Amino acid sequence: MRRSVSIAVLLATLGLGIAGLGAGTRNFAASAQQKLQTLEVKIDNFSFGPMELTVPVGTTVTWTNRDDIPHTVVSTDKVFKSQVLDTDEKFSFTFSKAGTYPYFCSIHPKMTGKVVVQ
Amino acid sequence: MSVNPFDLRTVLLAKHAQHVVLIHFPIALFTAAVAFDYFGQSAKSRTLAAAAYFNLLLAAVSIVPVVSTGLAAWRWALEGQKLKGMLLMHLVLGCISSALIWLVFWIHLRSRRHPEVPLPKYRLPIEALAVLIVGLTGHLGGFLSGVNGPG
Repeated sequence: MRRSVSIAVLLATLGLGIAGLGAGTRNFAASAQQKLQTLEVKIDNFSFGPMELTVPVGTTVTWTNRDDIPHTVVSTDKVFKSQVLDTDEKFSFTFSKAGTYPYFCSIHPKMTGKVVVQ
Repeated sequence: MSVNPFDLRTVLLAKHAQHVVLIHFPIALFTAAVAFDYFGQSAKSRTLAAAAYFNLLLAAVSIVPVVSTGLAAWRWALEGQKLKGMLLMHLVLGCISSALIWLVFWIHLRSRRHPEVPLPKYRLPIEALAVLIVGLTGHLGGFLSGVNGPG
């Protein structure tokens, strides 16, 4: 009797442990996916940072203008285009297809960046 | 990619960069014209007055491509979107500057066509105001282009 109770307790502990591990893995995966879903590019000092970004399909990239000067975010291939962004204004775009998306600031064409979607 | 500065395409296809280049001509010509006019007024020199007139003439003419390229940049680079903030202020001040330069030129032109009518004294504060506004417009333009900024 005592033996069977011990086995039951052991199995229950094992089951709870496995369940907890599974939940933890799910939480970690969800958290990682959430992290991948939104990424920020800062516009500062007349440059995009990071200049090149590699993201999975479905990621939303948000550009934030931290500069004192207005900037724009315009895709070279005309896939996306922002309004003029004043200081602290944001622009977001969700990349639903894989590919390379070069972009630039149409006010300062030497400011360039690239988003690689895999 | 290397760019040959003597290739005509680098000049013609520079898009709104032309505005940034051309703007220096009316600024320099108008400021010089006002300086000549002030010196000509105080020294009562007809030579300096003539120098002021011809500088004003060239400033008024060179305003045309500057305004054209500025509006073209708005139309093409920003696709005519509604401007705000510094860009809007630059546009408004640029239009006021252009109007003032043309007004000052017209005052001088009218006096030149009718030599019996002396140049009115009220032109001097208008010229001073115009230099101030041209300077402010240029300052904002410098910020927008990155020349005055950290970039």
